[in-house]
Amino acid sequence: MSEPSTVQAVEGLFSQTPEGPRLLGSRCANCRTPYFPRSETCHNPECERSDMQDDSFGPAGRLISIALQNYPPPPPTIASDPYVTYGVGLVDLPEGLRVIGRLLADDPEQVPVGGNVALVIAPLGHDAEGREVLSWQWKPI
Amino acid sequence: MNDVAALGFGMHPWGKFPEKRLNDICRVAVESALGDAGIAWKEVEAVCAASSRFSGGKGWGLNGNDVVEDMGSTGVPVYNMSAGCAAGSNAFNVGYTMIKSGIHDVVLVVGGEKMPKGFIQTSGLEDETDPEYLRQRCVGLPGPGFWAMLTRARMEEYGTTEEDLAAVAVKAHQVGTHNENARFRQLFSLEDVLNSNMVSHPLRLYEICPVSDGAAAVVLCSAEFARKKTTQPIWAASTAVATARFDDGLPRGLACVPGEGRPHHSEARISVAKALEAADLGPKDLDFVELQDNTVYYELAFPEEWGMCKPGESERLLHAGETLPTGRMPINPSGGFLCFGEATTAQGLFQICEVGWQLRGECGPRQVPNARVGMAQSIGLGGNGTAAILKR
Repeated sequence: MSEPSTVQAVEGLFSQTPEGPRLLGSRCANCRTPYFPRSETCHNPECERSDMQDDSFGPAGRLISIALQNYPPPPPTIASDPYVTYGVGLVDLPEGLRVIGRLLADDPEQVPVGGNVALVIAPLGHDAEGREVLSWQWKPI
Repeated sequence: MNDVAALGFGMHPWGKFPEKRLNDICRVAVESALGDAGIAWKEVEAVCAASSRFSGGKGWGLNGNDVVEDMGSTGVPVYNMSAGCAAGSNAFNVGYTMIKSGIHDVVLVVGGEKMPKGFIQTSGLEDETDPEYLRQRCVGLPGPGFWAMLTRARMEEYGTTEEDLAAVAVKAHQVGTHNENARFRQLFSLEDVLNSNMVSHPLRLYEICPVSDGAAAVVLCSAEFARKKTTQPIWAASTAVATARFDDGLPRGLACVPGEGRPHHSEARISVAKALEAADLGPKDLDFVELQDNTVYYELAFPEEWGMCKPGESERLLHAGETLPTGRMPINPSGGFLCFGEATTAQGLFQICEVGWQLRGECGPRQVPNARVGMAQSIGLGGNGTAAILKR
């Protein structure tokens, strides 16, 4: 059997569902605090009884800041080859979660802060074995 | 409780010293601090040291043990403190507490580090439960990108420009050029900074701190001991340590809850507030501060977050010269990390040495006139924050 040609950057953090892409996390049923990735315990100091249950997040949010990555980062980051500057977005989701993710945009310098973004599952680049590496990304809409 | 004096300060200049061992660098700082205090090594009753991640310490962060072996194995207790980039000032806090509580009369606090090349890979772990690994693997946001994200948020909120950011670096070198312990002492024009390579938009190479080697040491002692040595001691008025709050809106890994207000380093805000309260001072009572300027952003954001000035006011104060040593709100008269570079676990102590020398009036062209009270502040991986207030 041949090796799969596509892998997730890290297993178990996101999935494609019939309703669209989702980030896989959890939520405390007691205090309603959301977590990504999954958390074993609730970190809210006001919550007196941690009751963690699986939850998922997406499909859209609002950009509150952007950084550009103007130089190729060292491993374990996966990027295009030859290297092209990418953007990273800080995104607030309506579920009460703030999540970073790579920006899926041809010209990240032109993406406005404050705009809406959609959650997508897309390739970051290829790993040393030549496999396409997937992660969640934010696509301006 | 005993009053705590800071009796001696010593430093090995910051730079790159491939020909020197870490022990050699630390010994220069320690001997200098002991000499400044006018005491012999045998008078030191305990050592509080910053645990280095990158060098010495037998690979276990036992850097205080290295210093004791090198100086002479007197049998003293050693406390090796790990707090990421806040380790040096964390060690200072522990040393302070021991004098304050009367456990010891004379404590040496020391931090030294030789850094590997390139930008710091914060954790270096290849572990899918490590938040830093997940951030680099799934997204790719090294330290400068993290700072860039904070910076861009400020630009959106307050209209901070790229020229404003560059002006912070120009001012840092304008001051640091007078500091013989700083590594980058050249003067930069606004154009020099704006023409330096874009590292992580909107931050350029001269707007973020590189890595350096360096060591610094402080001798702390009881008031009774200090009186035997000097008539004008520098006092450690307070120190405080904090960790980040759950709801400060700053994602250390992949995500966080937004919380209230702007994303910020709550560990810095809390440790500064605690140190001010313990010293019975308000934020505007500080004659100057040495704050952790890994990037120009922090020199604009921190004074506002701590109540030293109004939110959004920092750029105006910068351009009016108020953050220079001669201004009304002097920031980093040492030149800061932009001129020193980051010797991660040692740098909290170069800041405290600078505060001490400023209070003694020994800083020549970078002197804050008539400085009576100053603060040193640092933050480190894991959400560690520290602050120390010294006065004369």
